[in-house]
Parts: sequence; structure tokens; C-alpha cells
Amino acid sequence: MLWLVLEWYGATSEVPWLFLLAAWILALVVAAAAYAWWNRAGLWLQLAVRGNVPASGSPAEDLPESVLRSAPQMAPVFEGDALELEVALHTRGSSRGPAWVEGQLNGRRVEFGAGLVPKKGWRRMKIVSELRRGPVGATGWRVSTSDPLGFFTGRRPYADSEVALVFPRFTSLAMRREPHELQASLAAPRAGSGNELFGIREYRPGDSLRRIHWRSSARHGELVVREYEPPGVQTLAIFVDPAPSSLEIADQIARIAASEAWDCIREGGRVVISASGGEPSASPRDLWSQLEWLARYPANSSPRSWEVAAKPPEGLLVLITAAPNADLVEVADRVWVVGDAAIDTDVPFERVGLQWPL
Amino acid sequence: MALVTRWLRLPASPIEHSIEGRAFVFSGFSVAMLAIALYGQDYIVPILAFVATAIGHVVSYRERNRKRGLWRQVFLAALVFGALFYVIADSALALFGGVLPQANFAILLVAITSFDLKTRRNCYSSMWISLAILYLAAVYAWDYAFGILLALWALYLAGFWIASHLKRMEAGVRVPARALALMLAAAILGGVGWFVAVPQPSGVPISPLVISLPNFSNFKGGLESPALPLVQLTGDSTGASSSVDLHFRGRLGDAPVMYVRTGAPAYWRGLVFDEYRDGAWTTTNHGYREMQPYVPPRFMPPAPPHNLGTFVQTFRVLRPLPGVINAAYPIQSLYAPVAALREDAYGTFHTPDALRPGQTYSVVSYLPDLSADALRGDELERVAPQNNPAYLDPGSLSPRARQMAVEATKGASNEFDAVMALTGYLQRGYQYTLDLPRVPAGRDPVDWFLFDVKTGYCEQFATAETLMLRSLGIPARLATGYGTGDYDPLLNQAVVREHDAHAWVEVWFSGHGWVPVDPTPGVAPLAATRFPNHWAGGGVARLLPHLTVGAPAAALGSLGVFAVVPLAMGIAIVFVLAYAWLRRRVWRRRPKTPPGESELLRLYERLQRRLGRRRAPPETPLEYQRLMQSDVLVDVTKAVNEGVYAGRWPDPTRVRDFAERIS
Repeated sequence: MLWLVLEWYGATSEVPWLFLLAAWILALVVAAAAYAWWNRAGLWLQLAVRGNVPASGSPAEDLPESVLRSAPQMAPVFEGDALELEVALHTRGSSRGPAWVEGQLNGRRVEFGAGLVPKKGWRRMKIVSELRRGPVGATGWRVSTSDPLGFFTGRRPYADSEVALVFPRFTSLAMRREPHELQASLAAPRAGSGNELFGIREYRPGDSLRRIHWRSSARHGELVVREYEPPGVQTLAIFVDPAPSSLEIADQIARIAASEAWDCIREGGRVVISASGGEPSASPRDLWSQLEWLARYPANSSPRSWEVAAKPPEGLLVLITAAPNADLVEVADRVWVVGDAAIDTDVPFERVGLQWPL
Repeated sequence: MALVTRWLRLPASPIEHSIEGRAFVFSGFSVAMLAIALYGQDYIVPILAFVATAIGHVVSYRERNRKRGLWRQVFLAALVFGALFYVIADSALALFGGVLPQANFAILLVAITSFDLKTRRNCYSSMWISLAILYLAAVYAWDYAFGILLALWALYLAGFWIASHLKRMEAGVRVPARALALMLAAAILGGVGWFVAVPQPSGVPISPLVISLPNFSNFKGGLESPALPLVQLTGDSTGASSSVDLHFRGRLGDAPVMYVRTGAPAYWRGLVFDEYRDGAWTTTNHGYREMQPYVPPRFMPPAPPHNLGTFVQTFRVLRPLPGVINAAYPIQSLYAPVAALREDAYGTFHTPDALRPGQTYSVVSYLPDLSADALRGDELERVAPQNNPAYLDPGSLSPRARQMAVEATKGASNEFDAVMALTGYLQRGYQYTLDLPRVPAGRDPVDWFLFDVKTGYCEQFATAETLMLRSLGIPARLATGYGTGDYDPLLNQAVVREHDAHAWVEVWFSGHGWVPVDPTPGVAPLAATRFPNHWAGGGVARLLPHLTVGAPAAALGSLGVFAVVPLAMGIAIVFVLAYAWLRRRVWRRRPKTPPGESELLRLYERLQRRLGRRRAPPETPLEYQRLMQSDVLVDVTKAVNEGVYAGRWPDPTRVRDFAERIS
């Protein structure tokens, strides 16, 4: 526009300086276009969770170091915690810019602008607080680049991804149980420290070097340890409501289930969590597998029907539901009822609200 | 309505909160001030405004987050009206010299609003007003140093855009310095290349440029018969004299008289004379019509039948001149900063007062299409044009001179050939000189020129030809004014000096009107009536033959203070080249890498790119190889590990083998 104005004035007023200025404006636009193309070609985005900020009462503050070290994420995040998301721009070869990144993290808009992306990269931390249980989705992320004057803008969208998984909060519910139950559980031997060979598993930090199975390690190409199962180990089947009526109820069910699982696993027991119509949780001895399953609950269950879960032959079945199903209640050893749904059974049950901790 | 109210409220935009953006706005304004001071010789207002604007930016930046006070708004509005009043008063009374009142108004406007740069568009407004001021300076810019100011302004504009863009992004004003410098350098060089290589469009001028406002000085009496002032001694109230007397001649120096920005070179015609008596030219018709300072095309005669279009001339007076509008004729429209204009019977415009230095007037003229073939087609009517018998009156021309005219035009079958034959005769047979002795008492100057001294200056040649043509029955008259001057085809401008004062002949052709013909030796007989090549490259090419050994020094000298810039650039280029040469030497003497090392590592990089994932920093080559599952990667990884850890780099043949396997 400015170029046209200058050309027009130059052509009608016989002042050639205007042509020179117009030529410079035009050349500036062309150079800016080339710059914008170059800038767009050498920048790319990286999103990574660099840490967490535990909220008050978060399990991250109470869990033993050995358990935290075995977490699949460097810094496990629990509901209510905050996470530190690193938004990084990398450049190829030399410094570039300007660029700005924008996208949504769990539905919250995040945007940063950078005039200069240095050779060693550009980073900004975004603290996302008061996270809810479930996957933390990075959606609609894109890197916009332009020339320094802002004439030409290019956008590079990135595929939606899951940057973190927020686990449910939990706490030990052992104090709420009957004293004889508690006594029995305290007497239970630790997992993997018995005499009967249960199997092998991958090495985890903290495992005794004596338990390394060198032949299997050589075969697998990574360290493998023997796992011994103690005699009389507890097996806990947790059946959760497949169709909670609200997200708040689902959260509470997940918290109770996680607490039950934690109490069992830390006493050396095995836990399988399931809901009808979906895959049960894997790795019964691994707390993080159970938490991951619960983090995705109820997306991993099918609300269409109630199927009676098979009760483990030598274990307990705990039912956690907001809508007690008569068939299930009858076979359960312990029942948690979330909310004020009517229940008619002789099985001991505990009714809880949506408050946490209980 | 709500939309209008919201729009009027002018919410703040990010750029007004950017100190860098303001710095660029102020710098752009400063460049415009400098240009006006250097080229417009306008000092007081720009200096005052420069200081005021600096303070204004500081004040408005500090108070950018505060609510705007009503009384301050009222005060600033009053100041704007005051500036407007001042401009009108300055135009009329020349309080500050009456120089560039529009520019001064724009400057004051920026200075006043700088105290209120809080809302959107204000910084942009300042920038665009700076451009307008720069445009006014460009009209007056007569040397290439102005290009430096122009480039600076363009860079500040780019800086302002950058600051604005980054502020909108909420990012700091930090950009990749090398890439940006490269981009700006490419833009500056590319722009110059474009300017030189691409023909400049030539549009139809809309109207004369209005640079100054009219004052209130009006005509005080009847129009005297004026004449060329530089060569005469007597004059009227405007400084113009009443006749051209061939017995006298003033001294003409090299001092510039006026700058002319023009779309085409031409004679800048002033007064026209029709009656020759006793060695002096006067006018017979003293009629005139009074006109407004802006004379639109509808008040002027219709366009000549053969013309190539119109072009604008802007005249800037450099020394006191008589109140005569010198311009290319025929005129289509004109504007002069006076209260009124008078057009005499010969089509020349007069001003009430003498033209003073700094005054600017602007004219749009037709460029006549004069070709020999077309002019030959015009029939000689032997009738005095415009019912003025003086155009055919040879006056006191002697019979010898009449006979000479007949002999010189013998064989010419039409008017044009006769005119050209006589013109050529005078140009070939007589010499030009300014050192002419006084005409002896009692001698007719024309006879004395033709038969005795046979040397003379323009007035002798033009007078002789005019009278000789009249003796042949061809209507002619004497035109005075200035030659084109030192014309720069690149910048479309001419510097007219005292010694460019000139006299020539206007010959009447029935199909073309008055046609300028110049019998002075060394000048084209028929004035060049073509638009110059509006291609800067063509302009440069036309300048080249005129370059002499002393030209670079003269060109540097003409730059004044800015002469240091090309010198500094030259020194900088030498330093850069020397640095590049030394760097290259050091690079060549660096310790040589083992053969095959760089090739293998480059190949390893290439392979990683091809596999779609680069090795992460904490990943060892072996870990990377295990994950990527590629046969060739196994061998390359082995070679890399052997080179890095055992120092056994492969020979280039083996690396080439790897490369072939990859491709």
C-alpha cells in the first residue's frame, strides 16, 4: 500500500526520491518474505514436562523415595499438583526469530512469543496448577513464525499429544479398617523377599544385586532380577463403577481405589483393578500401573453393562461404586458407596461423599 | 453509535507502550527535521519542535498508563489551533521567514501530539507525518546526500515495524542481529538496484504542487512593461525592467538563481517582447487579466494540438527575482504563493511582489510535440498571429540584413526549412562571446553584430533572427528567461544559475503555435521536446560520458558534511576485505583433521537425518544404532567409534563406500 502511494506520488509530482523510497519499501517487503521463509524452515517445537510442584497433601510428598524413583515419569504428578511444562523452540544452524507458540494444555490456552531464538534454543516454563486427574493433553499447538516486520506469517501445526498423566490422589485407608485386618496385613511378608521363586522382572533401582539373574540378563540385554513370592500373599480385586454419573464421582472412586491398591501393594500384595467391559489393570504388583489405569478411568471402561467380576480364589473383592449393583454387592468382601445411593445388603459397606481426604 | 464511541475512545495499542517503538518514531521524525533544515533552510521551527518532541515522548511514555486529563486535552487542542494560526500568519506576514509553512505545521503537529502519544494510531500518525515532511524536503533535495537521509528514515520505519510487531507478540525487542542486518542490507541494495534498473512510471500530474501558502501582498498598480532583470538596469516595483536594450548588458555570475524540479528539461520562459526600436525590445500590448494564485486548466487556453502530455515543474527561488513566473510554456495550470497573479497579453504570469528567496511555485506545462516532419506540414500564412502586427514588423532592420535573410533561406520551400536554414546560417557563421565591446554610438546593434563584429551573445543572435524572419514574412518574437540549467536526469532536477539567463526566438507555426527556436551557437536549433528517459539507469548512463577525472572529487565536495559517509564506507569495505583475507589465511593454516574424519562425521550426520531421528545428546552411538535398526548404520557406527575412541579414522575410499550404500 505504502509502495503504491509513493509510486503514485512520484509519478505525478516528478520527485524521483519518492521512487527510491518506494523501491526501498518494496525491497524491504521482498527481503522480509525471504526472511520469513528462512525463519519458518528452521524452527521446531518441543513440549516436555520438567517437574512438578506437589500441592499440600499430595502423595508425591509422602511416597517413599524408592517408590517415586520407580515411577514411569521423572516427576509423577497427582491431582491438585502443578506441573512445569517446558515449551522449547529449537533452531537449525543459526539464531532465528521471531516466533511464537500457542496451544492448549488441558483446555487452558498457553502462548509465548520470542523475538530471538538463539542458536542453543529458546525455552519458557509454564506452570499449570490444580491439575485434574487424567491425561494432560496438548492440543492445537502450533509454531507461528514471521519476518521481523510482521508482514509474512507462517504456521506449523503439531499433532495433539499427551504430555503427562495426572494420577489420582490417594492415602492409606488402613487406619479405617478393623484392627484384626490391620494386624494381619502388617504381618504379611514383603513382596519378592520370600523363598518361592515367582518369576523374573526388570531391574529397578533399589533391588539387591544378589537377586540379579545373570543368565537372563545376558539373554535379554538388560538387567533382570529374580522375584520371589512370599507365602500367603494378599490378592485384591477392585471393581469400580463403570459408569460414574459425574467426573467428581469418578475422581472419588479413583482415589478410593488407588488408596486400596496402595495399602495392598505396600504390604506385598497384588492388585487388579477392573470395570466391566474394559481391560483390567496390568502388573498387579506395580503401584504405578494401577495408578495409570485409574488415571484413565472411566475412559477405559464400558458403561453398557455390569458384568460380575471373577473373585480371586484366595483374595478379596472390593467394590467401589456410586450405584450399587445387587449381584456385585453380594459377591464383594468390602463395598464403598460414593454418594447417597440406596443399598440393601448384609455386606459391610462404607458410604463416603465427595470430600477428600475421607 | 456504540461502535463509533468505542472507536473514538482510541484504546491503547502495544506500540505506544514500547520504548523502542517510540525511539524509532522519534528518530524518523528527527531525520525529517534534519532534511527540512538542510534542504529547506528552515531552522527555527524544526529545532524548537525537535526539543519539544523529545520532551513530549518522555512525558507521554511516563504517563502512558494514566488517564488522559480533560484540561490537558483542551490545552493540546488549543495548541494545534495555535499552530494552524501561526502557519497562516507566517504565510502572510513571514514571521519565521514564510519558508515551508506546511512543513512547519506538520512539524508542530507532531511536536504537540507527542505529549499525548498514548492511544493507538498516534505513533503511526507521527511516522506518516514524518514521511510527509520528508516528502516536502525531497522536493527541495538537490544532491545525492539526501539519499542517506532517506535510507535512514526507511531503516527507522523498519525498526518501528519490528518493534510494533514484537510488542504485539509480547516479546522483547531482540532479533537475530546477523540475519536482520543481512535482510536490511539486502533491502537497501535491492532497492537501489530496483531504482536504477526499473523504469519510473510517469503519471499525469494532478495539479501543481502546493508547497507554500499565499500571502496577502497584492498588486499596487497597473502592469508595467517588464523585462529581464539580470541584463537590464531599470525596473518596476517588482524588480522587473521595462525593456531589453541591446546596448547594455549586466554581469552574469555562477551563483544559483533557482532550483527547478522538473519532469522534462525545457526553457524557463519569462517575458516576451514584440517590438524592436532603436536597439531595444519592448512590448506593444499592455493588457492583462488578474487571476487567483491557483490557476486551474479551465482558465488556460486549450491544450496545444501536438503535445506529448504534461509535466510538473517546481521552482524554488534562491535569490531575489522580479515578480515574473519563469516556466515551461505552454502552461496547463500553476500555483504561486501570492495573493493574486496577472497574466499579460503574451501569456506570461506576474506576481505582485518580487520573488524572495525560499519562495516556491509550481507549474504544470504541456510538452509540445515538435518534429521536423510535422512542422514542415504547416503552411506559412504571412498573417500576424493574435492580430498583433508587431510580430511581422522587422523594425529598423537594414536592407543588407534583409538581403542576407533572403540569401540564407534560398531554396527553402516551407516555413520550417526557412527558419532552420536561417538558424543554421547564424549558428555557423557567427561566434558566441560574452566579451562584447559596447555598441558604437549611432550604430544599430543588429547591423553591427551581423556585419562588423560577427560575435555576440544570445540577445544579438535572437534579435537578428527574429527581425530577419519577420523580413521574410514569418511571424516571430523575442523570448527571454533561463535555459534549463545543470540538469540531472537521475534526480529530475536542474540548478539554474545567473549565466543561464537566455534569450531565444519564438516562431509562429500555423499548426503548432509559438515554437521556440534558438540561433545561439552550441545550442540545438529546435528545443528538445521529448520526455527524458524516466529510467534511472538511463539517467546514470547519460551521466557517464560527462564524468571526468575530477568528477569524483567534485561529487564528494558537493556532498558537504556527508562526504565523510562514502569515505567511511570505503574504509569500512577495505577493513572488511582485509579481515576476510586474514581469516581465510588463518583458516587455511589450521591444524588439518585426519583424512576421513570430517567426511565420516558428515556422513554420520547425513545418515541420522535420513533415518528420521537424530541421536540424542545422552545417547551413545551404540544405543542409537540398536534402536534404529539399520545395516549400514551398524558399520558406520563401528567406524565412528573406532575413529573417536581409538583414533583409527577410515580412509576416504571406505567412507565413499558407506556413502554409496546410503544412497
